[in-house]
Amino acid sequence: MMRIVPLLLVTLVGLCFASLALGDITIPARKLALAIANPDAASPDTRMILLELRLPRALLALLVGMALAVAGTIAQAVMRNPLAEPGILGINAGAALAATLLIVALPAAPAALLPWASFAGAAAMASAIYALSWRGGTSSLRIILIGIGLSSLTGAATTLLTAFGEIRDVQRAMIWLAGSVYDADWSKVRLLALWLPGPLVLAWLGARELDLVRFRDDAARSLGQRVNLIRALAILLCTLISGAAVAAAGLIGFVGLIAPHLARRLVGPAHARLIPVAALTGGAMVMAADLLGRTVIAPAQLPAGLVTALIGAPFLGYLLWGRRHVPA
Amino acid sequence: MSRPDLTLPPPSLAAERVSLTYGGTTIVAGLDLAVPERAFTALLGPNGSGKSTVLRALAGLLAPQKGAILLDGRSIAERPVKETARRIGILPQGPAAPEGLTVLELVRQGRYPHRSLFGRWSRADEDACAQALRLTSLDALRDRPLDSLSGGQLQRAWIAMALAQETGILLLDEPTTFLDLAHQIELMELIASLVEERGTTVVAVLHDLNQAARYADQMVFLKAGEIAAAGEPDRVVTAPLVEQVFGVAASIVPDPVTGTPMCIPSAKGHRSRRRQRCAPSRQGDGG
Repeated sequence: MMRIVPLLLVTLVGLCFASLALGDITIPARKLALAIANPDAASPDTRMILLELRLPRALLALLVGMALAVAGTIAQAVMRNPLAEPGILGINAGAALAATLLIVALPAAPAALLPWASFAGAAAMASAIYALSWRGGTSSLRIILIGIGLSSLTGAATTLLTAFGEIRDVQRAMIWLAGSVYDADWSKVRLLALWLPGPLVLAWLGARELDLVRFRDDAARSLGQRVNLIRALAILLCTLISGAAVAAAGLIGFVGLIAPHLARRLVGPAHARLIPVAALTGGAMVMAADLLGRTVIAPAQLPAGLVTALIGAPFLGYLLWGRRHVPA
Repeated sequence: MSRPDLTLPPPSLAAERVSLTYGGTTIVAGLDLAVPERAFTALLGPNGSGKSTVLRALAGLLAPQKGAILLDGRSIAERPVKETARRIGILPQGPAAPEGLTVLELVRQGRYPHRSLFGRWSRADEDACAQALRLTSLDALRDRPLDSLSGGQLQRAWIAMALAQETGILLLDEPTTFLDLAHQIELMELIASLVEERGTTVVAVLHDLNQAARYADQMVFLKAGEIAAAGEPDRVVTAPLVEQVFGVAASIVPDPVTGTPMCIPSAKGHRSRRRQRCAPSRQGDGG
């Protein structure tokens, strides 16, 4: 822990510098250093590229990555399943349906509504799944099963919309669905930076509850945990955190699944250490994915969500391979 | 049947006309059970007789359909769960832990009910865990991942977690399963010393009649959700009772070491009789 956090922070700072320096116009290190030290002295072009384009984009990637990773950590604890991620709570499917609905069925609606609509969709789906799995109490397995069922149902509705929508609207929706931070601006960064700290800190303060809720209901309850209450609160936090990330950047997959696993390898399963390390890992992942996506085949840009999927899918295979001897 | 002896202090844990159901099936109907304080009670009975169900109910994990589980005369259902968890600890049957935990991380969970919402890890927490590890001889294994332990070591790790909870009442569901003979004896001795030295009240579901008779202060026999007999081992363990509860014909003889009742089931197809049939001239060794 003592060595890993500084290491991750250094990585993040390095990635941030790389994100600022690299792109269609490469800014040499000296010029970058000068511009950071004294922004007023830099040329207006450089200042514009750094402050209005690259910095908000890098910061948004960082915030989204942190949010997705912490939400994934919570989901894995509550679902007691190392393969769980926030998508299981219906957050992705709900946000996708709401966003597609807004873009395709109401093309006249202002674009500024998009994050709010997708957050509302995510929250509505998560509550519906929770409500449907309630039967005098909840169970992780019921939530997972109902989550999968409802997600594919809303997925079908989304597909239906895209099948009959105007082709240009559908394209816009698909770009949103792919998950990206390309349209980052300061207002998004500010909104996320104000929204996230509360739930993130709460999740970290509740580390001990998450440690225990991973056990079976009986074991947790016999130690005095109010399992249903904690599960509901954790799902609420997870929705607040990942719903905001999805609203800001669309569907960036696999980060919520993989970042907690990497963090667990680094610092073990105790949430007091796991949550901060997962957050930093997730932030680094999305920043790196965005950097790769916009430099590898420049001037064309790959959305960050596509890059995380390209890297994430093999990693998922690796996870399953490592678990092939674990029964059930 | 199981009315408390009037000379003893009133029991802190008791079931009062409790009916327990599982998914619509009634397992136990109108059960009265008083758990003697500062004593070791063994719960015995055939498979499916409701032992584990009763134990879960005593811990407050299964809400009775009718009746109540009383702790100091007040229903467990009305008490805050965390407060109950400081009084009653339970080791469930075949417990499962999340992946990747070490022995110490598991044992530390036992301190959960003693900590306030954001309270720090205290000296008392540390001491309780160290003591629990020592009592279960797990000191050397404290940093080992649970997945790397043998069945017996894993069982002891869970027992250590229950001990770290430092409850006055300890409920154990088949604690000796998976343990080899040496560790079975070690565990029974540990339970006996907890009762004797710390005044812990222990209720354990056991399968070994003779072990139970050796160590328990009271034996409770369940059959089909009802108490068939309850009391001190010397009084309750009789051949007719074993026949009635387990459907096994047996002789009861005094244990050569402790003098407690020992159940020797009769056997038809045993080896020496088979040998007799094959070689009738050979004599036994007189034992």
